[in-house]
Amino acid sequence: MPNFIHNQSNDLIDSNIVGMMIAMESSGRTIDAMKAREDFPILGRVLPSGRNLVYLDNAATTQKPKQVIDAMSKYYEEYNSNVHRAVHTLAGEATDAYESGRQKVADWFGTSREQVIFTSGTTEAINLVAFAWARSNLKKGDAIVITEMEHHADIVPWQILQQDLGIEIRFVPVNTEKFELDLDVLKASLDGAKLVGVVHTSNVLGTRNPIEEIIKMSKESGAKVLIDAAQAAPHDRIGFDECGADFVSISAHKMCGPTGIGCLLATKEVMSEMKPFMSGGDMIKEVFLEYATYQDGPYKFEAGTPKIAESVGWGAAIDWLSQWDMHSVHEHCNQLASWTASEISEIPGITVYGNHDNPECSGVVSFLHDTMHAEDLAHFLDAGGFAVRTGHHCAQPLMRKLGIAATNRASYYLYNTMQEAEAFVAHLRRVVERFA
Amino acid sequence: MKYGPGNWPEKLQEIIDEFKDVFDPMERYEMLYDWANEIEELPQDEWDDDSKVHGCQSEAHAKFHLDESGGFHMRGTADAQIVQGLLAITAIAIKGLSAEEVADFSPQFVIEMGLDQALTPSRANGFRNMFTKVQETAKKMSGGN
Repeated sequence: MPNFIHNQSNDLIDSNIVGMMIAMESSGRTIDAMKAREDFPILGRVLPSGRNLVYLDNAATTQKPKQVIDAMSKYYEEYNSNVHRAVHTLAGEATDAYESGRQKVADWFGTSREQVIFTSGTTEAINLVAFAWARSNLKKGDAIVITEMEHHADIVPWQILQQDLGIEIRFVPVNTEKFELDLDVLKASLDGAKLVGVVHTSNVLGTRNPIEEIIKMSKESGAKVLIDAAQAAPHDRIGFDECGADFVSISAHKMCGPTGIGCLLATKEVMSEMKPFMSGGDMIKEVFLEYATYQDGPYKFEAGTPKIAESVGWGAAIDWLSQWDMHSVHEHCNQLASWTASEISEIPGITVYGNHDNPECSGVVSFLHDTMHAEDLAHFLDAGGFAVRTGHHCAQPLMRKLGIAATNRASYYLYNTMQEAEAFVAHLRRVVERFA
Repeated sequence: MKYGPGNWPEKLQEIIDEFKDVFDPMERYEMLYDWANEIEELPQDEWDDDSKVHGCQSEAHAKFHLDESGGFHMRGTADAQIVQGLLAITAIAIKGLSAEEVADFSPQFVIEMGLDQALTPSRANGFRNMFTKVQETAKKMSGGN
């Protein structure tokens, strides 16, 4: 059981009390953050500064429950083997576990395993769309639509295609007062567009875009749709088959899984239009000196030795998340973020970016002080034990639109408590009072 | 003379001792905040790509010159106070040394000050880049490559 009693105070006095305090009412179910914390040894860590870790960098990566760590260790300790094409016990066990991970991902995201292509994460998944689908299905002059809210991973692959193929990129602007996409511009941009790429939930603003509406209007106009669900997967049960998108990109490590694995969910229709991106290894059916044939379905896009331990770990993460009602997880994070945004916006000099009154907003709170540099603030927060992210969050076009270069960003997950939020706000207030 | 652990310039040793006595990282950063005022700043109209410390989250610039007796001098500014504090202490540490001595100066003083994190070769931190810039400039001034 982690020890949350501080050697030096950062206002976390007795987290057992906290757990009771923050048993938030949500949809008739509650998130018992203290129960969740029991599975995360790292959350009990005392930092070299003597402060207890308060981990508020979940939008960058979530922590991993011991069930995930144990499952991956068990794989390496007991049945480590390469998968497929071997007739020995370990290979069979490893293959079963690896494919079981794929099945769990498919079940969690409401689709079939044939539509789950494992990638290294969201970035590779979007690059896979750009290089395996778009490169062979778009031509000079074809238009795609993306938004100013995108992560670099959903901008740069398209810029490369623009340079290589001469495609046109249309940008949907962000309203800087409501922190929402301008859907009128989106609608007007659809004419003739072949692909619409939209971030489901902003990693900077926490804005959840109306993807259902965006998918509907895009499909009606004849465009394929790619949803970047990196920030949505930890909060939302995205039903891939039901949502109607052609592609959805996801990272495991933002939903309690390991780093190094994610997936591209792709319909069989678009998958049939995709050409291999990388070749060799697991994607091969037969190779002759003159030519080669490829595996079917997702395997066609999974070259090399696959991410075996990572698939096992992601499956374990999904098993662990299955005990929680994801709507309640979202409400828990939203309430912590909403409360934090409201409190820190009262601190002189602090500007909060995002509409946190919206119940659909995620657990992300980006903020900036008008005179203290974000990097200075981050050092002072770290010195107090608070792990937040600082910088442009790989969204420089959005930063420019907001007229800033960087923000500090606190982001919550289901194991964060109200007392952690209170301690964070109190520490931030003290830092600003003392140094600003 | 080669400066490094056990043989720092007197003024730098005083600063190291001052930091060593402080165990609270908040206080150490507060001290850096204060030191940020102790550097001859580089006016913005002198900022250019050559003066920019790359790889730093904050906007940091530094320029260097040798005085009439060949002593090394550094002016610098950063929009983050903590980064400017590190610039200031570096400027004090190497002030008046020969270009050869600066090129050979150990950056370990930051560790002795308890600011190990500042030396992490992370993209988020510019100290390493800044110190490399200092040393490379000094090397050029001393006639090296």
